[in-house]
Amino acid sequence: MFLLLAAQLELVAPHGEKAAVLFFIRADCPISNRFAPEIERIYEQYGQRGFDIHLVYSEPGLSADRIEAHRREYHLGAPAISDPEHRYITLAHIRATPSAAVFVKGRLVYDGRIDNRFVSFSKTRTSGIQHDLTGVLDLIEAGKTPPLRETRAIGCAVEEVQ
Amino acid sequence: MPAAPRFVSAFRACLGLLALLTSSSVHAQVTFNKHIAPIVFEYCSACHHAGEAAPFALMNYTDVRNHANQIVAVTKIRFMPPWPPEHGYGDFVGERRLSDAQIRLIAQWVSDGRKEGDPRDLPPAPQFDEEGWRLGPPDLIVKLPQPFHVPATGADVWRNFVMPTGLTETKYVRAIQLRPGNKRVVHHANIVLDSTQSLRRRDGADGQPGFPGMDVITEARSGTFDPTSHFLFWKPGTIPQFEPEDMAWKLDPGTDLIFNLHLLPTGKDETVQPELGLYFTTRAPTRLPMLVQLEHDGALDIPPGARDFEVRDRVVLPAAAEVLGVYPHAHYLGKQMEAWATLPDGSRIWLLKINDWDINWQGVYMYRKPVSLPKGSALEMRITYDNSDQNPRNPSHPPHRVLGGNRSSDEMGHIWLQVVAPVGTKEDIRPAIEEAVMKRRLEKYPADFVAHYNLGAMFVSRGEFAAAIPYLEAALKVDPHDATARNTLGGALLENDRLDDAIRELRQAVADDPGYLNARFNLGRALAANNDLAGAAAEFSAIVEKTADDGDAQWALATVLMKQRQYEQALTHLEVAARLKPNDADIQTNLGVVLATRGDFSGAIRAFERALEINPNESVARQNLERARKQLESPGSAPRS
Repeated sequence: MFLLLAAQLELVAPHGEKAAVLFFIRADCPISNRFAPEIERIYEQYGQRGFDIHLVYSEPGLSADRIEAHRREYHLGAPAISDPEHRYITLAHIRATPSAAVFVKGRLVYDGRIDNRFVSFSKTRTSGIQHDLTGVLDLIEAGKTPPLRETRAIGCAVEEVQ
Repeated sequence: MPAAPRFVSAFRACLGLLALLTSSSVHAQVTFNKHIAPIVFEYCSACHHAGEAAPFALMNYTDVRNHANQIVAVTKIRFMPPWPPEHGYGDFVGERRLSDAQIRLIAQWVSDGRKEGDPRDLPPAPQFDEEGWRLGPPDLIVKLPQPFHVPATGADVWRNFVMPTGLTETKYVRAIQLRPGNKRVVHHANIVLDSTQSLRRRDGADGQPGFPGMDVITEARSGTFDPTSHFLFWKPGTIPQFEPEDMAWKLDPGTDLIFNLHLLPTGKDETVQPELGLYFTTRAPTRLPMLVQLEHDGALDIPPGARDFEVRDRVVLPAAAEVLGVYPHAHYLGKQMEAWATLPDGSRIWLLKINDWDINWQGVYMYRKPVSLPKGSALEMRITYDNSDQNPRNPSHPPHRVLGGNRSSDEMGHIWLQVVAPVGTKEDIRPAIEEAVMKRRLEKYPADFVAHYNLGAMFVSRGEFAAAIPYLEAALKVDPHDATARNTLGGALLENDRLDDAIRELRQAVADDPGYLNARFNLGRALAANNDLAGAAAEFSAIVEKTADDGDAQWALATVLMKQRQYEQALTHLEVAARLKPNDADIQTNLGVVLATRGDFSGAIRAFERALEINPNESVARQNLERARKQLESPGSAPRS
């Protein structure tokens, strides 16, 4: 798997695709990592239906080898983007990992949590009972273009560009 | 570069000027080396270093800079460092709690641009021995023989591993160190002692090592009063320490160690293979603490939607005592926990207060100084529960009625206190405290099996068999098929010389649980006392066929066989018993007798000498030794035993 560099990529809302989904994660964030099976489930399920899904790593100084090792370790099948300049972080208004962003034809329609299993750092449900991201994807698949919706993701704060 | 960052910089500069004009207490230049490193090294690095449980290291400037926003976020809400007890409600060792000023300082450092500062200001980073045994090589290492698999996702896993020690003699333990094997998975662990091996039956029943369960309940050993005395607890960052010289805890042969582990899925498949190092001392404890439990789980009947369901408990100390530590425990609905002592003069000493209970951050808290309480002080607790949808930790959506129990979907509410008699107290205060705790339990639960049983078992341990019998009979009225209670009753009747009653009860215990070897052992004793030697031999034989390493059963079987004059068979079992219980003078004495009856006087002399080594006052061994020596010197001069 080649590692895509955000600066070289124009992937948002590629023509002919339903939508682009970005998962913002961090290799050393335990909350990100606990979501790995759910991220992979969504990638498997919605990737097959034509959604263009990528992982975005934005932590400072993370090498391509480390990203690949993390993907292998957590069985993450989606292609990865390295975003040290925070190009996509900024574009999608991301403040914490894990977060998800959905673009339709270049327009941001969702950014925020994947689901609501984390209520705060210390308060978690066994699993989410409100599946915000897949709710948006289901709407898109049904042919609707949702208005921009933002939710607050609980996770590791995005650090400054260095 | 776009214009926006320049605007932000200018805005920050204005804020800085404003701060200088309005507050002289703000540091002019907050740097990592001078101001932040001392805080991080003291409060964070113990868990945040390579090989530890925390997900990333915080050991140098780069580590901290790369997580600076996160550190500000988690310190501001006091999620990190984790320290649930409220300040001022108990003065605890190792309090990991940042001051408001420290939290503000970290935030200021980040907003000022995360300056590294002068290298000369940097204190030395703490040193950690990652994988080693921190107190040196342990005297005994007990390790789970095969790894346990933890799935990548799903609910937390609560697993118990049954760990035999293989000890052949009693040891006194001064320290333990748990090495969980995979610190990112093991959230915390309790070590529970199972002196009657009562949990072996559950081990591996589902095809994986151990058995599931958030809490474990073990049986007490009858015949001795040996209450749980120490918190054997591990969480990330725990630094193993020696107990005071006079407060080691006893570990008997045959006692299993139960590793009770809270395991967190990490997002990938994991395995754990914990090991425990034990450090022994030859010095038996002279101060004997015990754990006192406050609880009222029987009152836990929490309706769905209840946000402040409350339970209380109160136990009056029958003697002056010192409280050394506290361990609170509830499940996912627990909300606020309070424990305090009300002194005879009505004044209150706070022992613990946690305003936002989180099972994920439970811990044992030891007081900096023992909390001294006079006789007549009441230990009290109050715990509230939130069984509403507003509680995200609630495992049930929608909420449903929740009762007390040890499944994670049930609730508990326990405050465990480690208490000990004040220095210089001559009497053992533990039996009186146990009696007070159990009588309080009977007030809470008049038809309670545990209270009746424990009171009965406690009187048995004190040798007060007649007092024990009514409590044990009452326990069996509540649960007629509890083989443990019936066995204890049988034992009490046996000691009270009510042989027929004892045999009847013990036969019933064996009928209720044919695999219950302790009941078979007592039945063998009762039959032997009733001169039914063949019946007794049958019971002891059944035990040694099942567990050949049961030294007591081997010894008892040998004794019965000797009474039946079956010396050759007795010898076989005596030799096994002598190997299993090498420090038992009686076994050596009888071994010598049997060897002498076979004409093996050299062997007999060795056995008698060994018996006298163990117990120089063993008069039978001494007399037999003289006779055996004479026989060896001049055969035929002494009659055979």
